[in-house]
Amino acid sequence: MDTAETKVLNVYDKNALAHWQRMSPIAIIYFIANFIKVLLSNIVILLPALYLSYDFIMENLILGLTVIILLISFAVISTFLRFYFFQYRLKNDHIDIRSGVISKTHINLPFTRIQNVKLEQPIYYRWFNYTCLQLDTAGSAKQEAKIVALKADFAEQLKTEILAQHLSKKEPGTCNKPADQPLDPQKSVAEEVLNTRSIPDLIIHGLTNNRIWIFLGGLAPFFDDFSHYILQFFQKTGVDIEHLLTITDKPIWQIILYASTLTFLFLLIISLCSIAASILTFYRYTLSKLEDRYIRRSGLFTKHEVTMRLSRLQLVIRQQDWLDVLLKRINLTFEQINVSVNHNQMNAQNNKIIVPSIKPNECTKLLNDIYPENQMMTISYQAISKQFLLKNWGLILTPLCATLTILFIVGNKPLLLTAVLPLYVFLSALVVMRWYRWGYASDENYTYIRKGFFGVDYYCFPTYKTQQVHYKQSWFLKRHQLCSINFVLAAGTQSIPYINENKGLSLTDDTIFKVESTKKSWM
Amino acid sequence: MASRETADYKNTSQENTPFSNKSLVVEQCPSLQQLNYQGVAPIYLKMTRLFNLFCTAVTLSLLIISQRQPFFPLTSQNFNIISNIILIIGLLGLLNYWYGIVANKKKFFAIREQDITYCSGLIFQKTVTQPISRVQHVELKRGPIERKAGLACLQLFSAGGASHTFEIPGLLLENAESIRQFIVDHKTISSN
Repeated sequence: MDTAETKVLNVYDKNALAHWQRMSPIAIIYFIANFIKVLLSNIVILLPALYLSYDFIMENLILGLTVIILLISFAVISTFLRFYFFQYRLKNDHIDIRSGVISKTHINLPFTRIQNVKLEQPIYYRWFNYTCLQLDTAGSAKQEAKIVALKADFAEQLKTEILAQHLSKKEPGTCNKPADQPLDPQKSVAEEVLNTRSIPDLIIHGLTNNRIWIFLGGLAPFFDDFSHYILQFFQKTGVDIEHLLTITDKPIWQIILYASTLTFLFLLIISLCSIAASILTFYRYTLSKLEDRYIRRSGLFTKHEVTMRLSRLQLVIRQQDWLDVLLKRINLTFEQINVSVNHNQMNAQNNKIIVPSIKPNECTKLLNDIYPENQMMTISYQAISKQFLLKNWGLILTPLCATLTILFIVGNKPLLLTAVLPLYVFLSALVVMRWYRWGYASDENYTYIRKGFFGVDYYCFPTYKTQQVHYKQSWFLKRHQLCSINFVLAAGTQSIPYINENKGLSLTDDTIFKVESTKKSWM
Repeated sequence: MASRETADYKNTSQENTPFSNKSLVVEQCPSLQQLNYQGVAPIYLKMTRLFNLFCTAVTLSLLIISQRQPFFPLTSQNFNIISNIILIIGLLGLLNYWYGIVANKKKFFAIREQDITYCSGLIFQKTVTQPISRVQHVELKRGPIERKAGLACLQLFSAGGASHTFEIPGLLLENAESIRQFIVDHKTISSN
């Protein structure tokens, strides 16, 4: 069993890999699948083109067929070329990648600069036990390297080796382990599983969080057709929706009944799609911890593995929708630096770790594990000024509804008129809740912000990780001695509007002081 | 005046001060209220004024020419529409010109040992503070007008994303370059 092949696969043989090599031909499957995905996502452009040229193709069948065959062969050839021109090597704790058919790129990543290692195993790789490895660096020269076909256990070893580089090169002052113990990639410290999610949890998550956008992205061009089909379907069953919904000659209760049934059906379909998307993304979810790294693994068809070092964590979000509040579930998100080089559609996988629909005690346990001294739920939050209510409710909402009411009275539309009042009440409640929920607090280490409407979201970040601070005052705010503050983090901006200007000033001064005096790296 | 400005930040040397971590009372901490602000270069005001006028004049003359050209005569309705557009653009141009004058006078910046602050805005005043230790790299942006007038725009990039690039427009070139040198020399610049 000591053939050269098994040597490379079972032992991390550095010499063999120091030379340029191509990936296994399995990678071609990945490129083809990718191509199909790109094709489907660009179907908005393709379908109209197909419609228009359909007649043309039918008439000149031979010409049309040759064009199609040419296109397909072009796709196949370019896929093969992409595979052929991709080479990598591992030398001196650097990874070099040469790729590109026409425009060549050469990426050189030293292991020490690699921040994130992500493993992605699409479903068609599972039988061959291959996986896709993605490395990225952070900072102003952000680079990404993706090797689309590596043997799964080799990828694991590589990942351990790369991440071990960081541990042995930590900055002094933050290291509380003996730094002279290099991590042996063969012997790994046992991972501690922090959390898993079961199917009922995922169903709850699908209900409460509409991950529908995953599907909506791909279905958008079909909406027109869908509505047409739906109308036709109802027509076949003898029900004429359009006729039903014309207001003039039907009693109001009937219209409301039909409208609510339709809305309910629609919501049901959306919920089912959302649950499916949730299961797709989070199937067999595990969150585990190894040394100072948090690892999340999940996925039904494509298995994703995201690793995040604790020091990279910029912001923790504890989020609850109104339905989450009712069901007593919490969504926890750990955010890292949010600059994404490729704007892919499925952005949920990018850099943050989401723990979906956990119970309050699980949430507290995780929070205390990540930020031991945090007081997110116990600290008392200071409210924002009531001027927020005055501006949003008094200056915007009420006049708007008043004008609408007058318009409808003058234009003699009684049905719309009856709709304005409940809408006004609902929106007013939203504004009041928004004001009521908005609060801020800070202690020695962290800044906390609480927001929300009927649900409530808590944001917590270490104050010293702030990148930039904004202090804003308009004429209106200045007159009332108020201001608005923005904290710019690597993970996004957090804002606190309408607070007393002295408090705002001391908050910004304090934040800047902590950033500059701690001298700790934000990652 | 140039030498007075540059002296403030050229020679701050941070020699080997021993690390100290005494806790401080809040009143002792530096505050944004005590900053020494300085304005943008006067020539910047003049250049932006001229530039605004120029843009408006060009747009208006293009419209007037297209209205009265002999090649494709317009219907009287289109003629009136274009006349209205000319009027609107003239008014907007005037407004923009006035706003440019007043708003540019309200642009200030201040430099301290550890951070840079920029304050701008007429009705909505915004003060942005960028700690130097969070700066990832520095750029000087100069368009053709800035090059002609000897001005530069200082840009500081942090990890907060491209939309939150810290920018000070209307600096004299020597000042911009010395600020850049000061930031680069700063010991605690982020090297990630």
